[in-house]
Amino acid sequence: MLTGTVVNYYTHCQRQCWLFYHNLNLEDNSEDVRIGKVLHELKKQGKEEIALDGIKLDKLTAEYVTEIKKSDADLAAAKAQLEFYLVVLHDKGIIRKGRLECLEKNKQSKSVHTLMLTEGEIEERKVQYRQIEEFLNRELPPPPIRKPICKKCAYYEYCFI
Amino acid sequence: MGKSSDTRYIFSTGDLYQKDFSIVFRKEDGNFYLPIKDTRELYCFNEITLSTKLLQLLAKVGIVVHFFGYYENYIGTFYPKEQLLSGRLTVAQALAYEQNRLKIAGPIVKGIAKNIHFVLYHYYRHGKSELKDYLDWLRKDVSRLADAVGDIKQLLRIEGEIWARFYQTFRLILPESFAMNKRVKRPPDNPINALISFGNTLLYTKTITEIYHTHLNQTISFLHEPAERRFSLSLDLSEVFKPVLVYKTIFDCVNNRKITVEKHFDKKLNYALLNEIGRKTFIEAFEERLNQTFEHQTLKRRCSYKQAIRLDGYKLIKHILEGKNFVPFCMEDKK
Repeated sequence: MLTGTVVNYYTHCQRQCWLFYHNLNLEDNSEDVRIGKVLHELKKQGKEEIALDGIKLDKLTAEYVTEIKKSDADLAAAKAQLEFYLVVLHDKGIIRKGRLECLEKNKQSKSVHTLMLTEGEIEERKVQYRQIEEFLNRELPPPPIRKPICKKCAYYEYCFI
Repeated sequence: MGKSSDTRYIFSTGDLYQKDFSIVFRKEDGNFYLPIKDTRELYCFNEITLSTKLLQLLAKVGIVVHFFGYYENYIGTFYPKEQLLSGRLTVAQALAYEQNRLKIAGPIVKGIAKNIHFVLYHYYRHGKSELKDYLDWLRKDVSRLADAVGDIKQLLRIEGEIWARFYQTFRLILPESFAMNKRVKRPPDNPINALISFGNTLLYTKTITEIYHTHLNQTISFLHEPAERRFSLSLDLSEVFKPVLVYKTIFDCVNNRKITVEKHFDKKLNYALLNEIGRKTFIEAFEERLNQTFEHQTLKRRCSYKQAIRLDGYKLIKHILEGKNFVPFCMEDKK
């Protein structure tokens, strides 16, 4: 079953997505990931995390479903993750707008991004999610492609050894 | 107590317990704090008292603890509940053992030969011309012989010959007090055998820790029989590192007189056991070598020899999962 993280990774790096999905989640010694985890712990303090059908929502209000990220390093991937939440909620009859809060803005000029999906876009996304599921069922992960983002990735050594 | 990078060695007797988010070692002359953040591995060489509360903390943060008995004998490892599990890989690893054993074991034996060649070539260049025959055999014949074998027994015979001939070169390299007639284990019967046993055990436990941080199953091995010891994959992966990590450390310590028979071995036990100072000296030299870095030729980044052990684990995963040829660490190629 798809999760928000898997959809995020699919946009970010397909190889990472496949490996992660098959539980080959490599240990990360990176400080950034640790900060991300701590932020996650902090922001959920005192609040119940809302979890349903593979999605875990940072915040759900009458108007918005909110996803909080440490930075806007890969905005497209974060948006894909948030859209996935919107689609899952939509299927349960919960119609919301998406709100993405980046605690650090390094690449974008603003730290809060909002998004909405039309009915047509929702159907498009569902087709795409079925493609992702097919992709995950492949026997082998796709070969690595060396990109600048690889240098910081926990999978770097495994991918390029 | 010794510390180097993220490994802590405990030589004295005392209590280990948890206080806040630190490990505390209480011994006669005071308390020592071991911050969790930069501790990944503990070695206990003496009588230590510890509680399950501490074990709980160690398990939570994934710290591996190795225990040794009074005679430097390896007792075992506290191996925290696996954090990295992949059913897919475990199945694939078992299948590789059934179907592809020689494709992994063969390169290990060739790797041993290459790394011994690297270590001994240094002495050949410095005038030990008697090494030539053996060096030629390592470079030219071993690879061909290993490729031609039909089963694991034939391969193990080649491996046996590589090591036996290696031990025979010691008389050319080491002072007479460290002469070696034959390899004797459990317990070793003279200083050189004691050093080899101690060094190999240290490397074996280091490899256990590195494999712990991968998804590999420690019990499914390829060169060694899976039943040989509990964590036989560690025996496999440590093999190619022995020449460059264990033996180079021994040669360095002995030839530079950092370790001598008179000062660093226990006389009461016929010099067949390192004393405490000997142990500390050897561990210090061994750790220094492990943490030395080199430019990794494939990854294009600096990497320590300890990390190189982990990387061999990754190579094995990649072979098992994605079919990439397994070529263990080679000192000459730096990869």
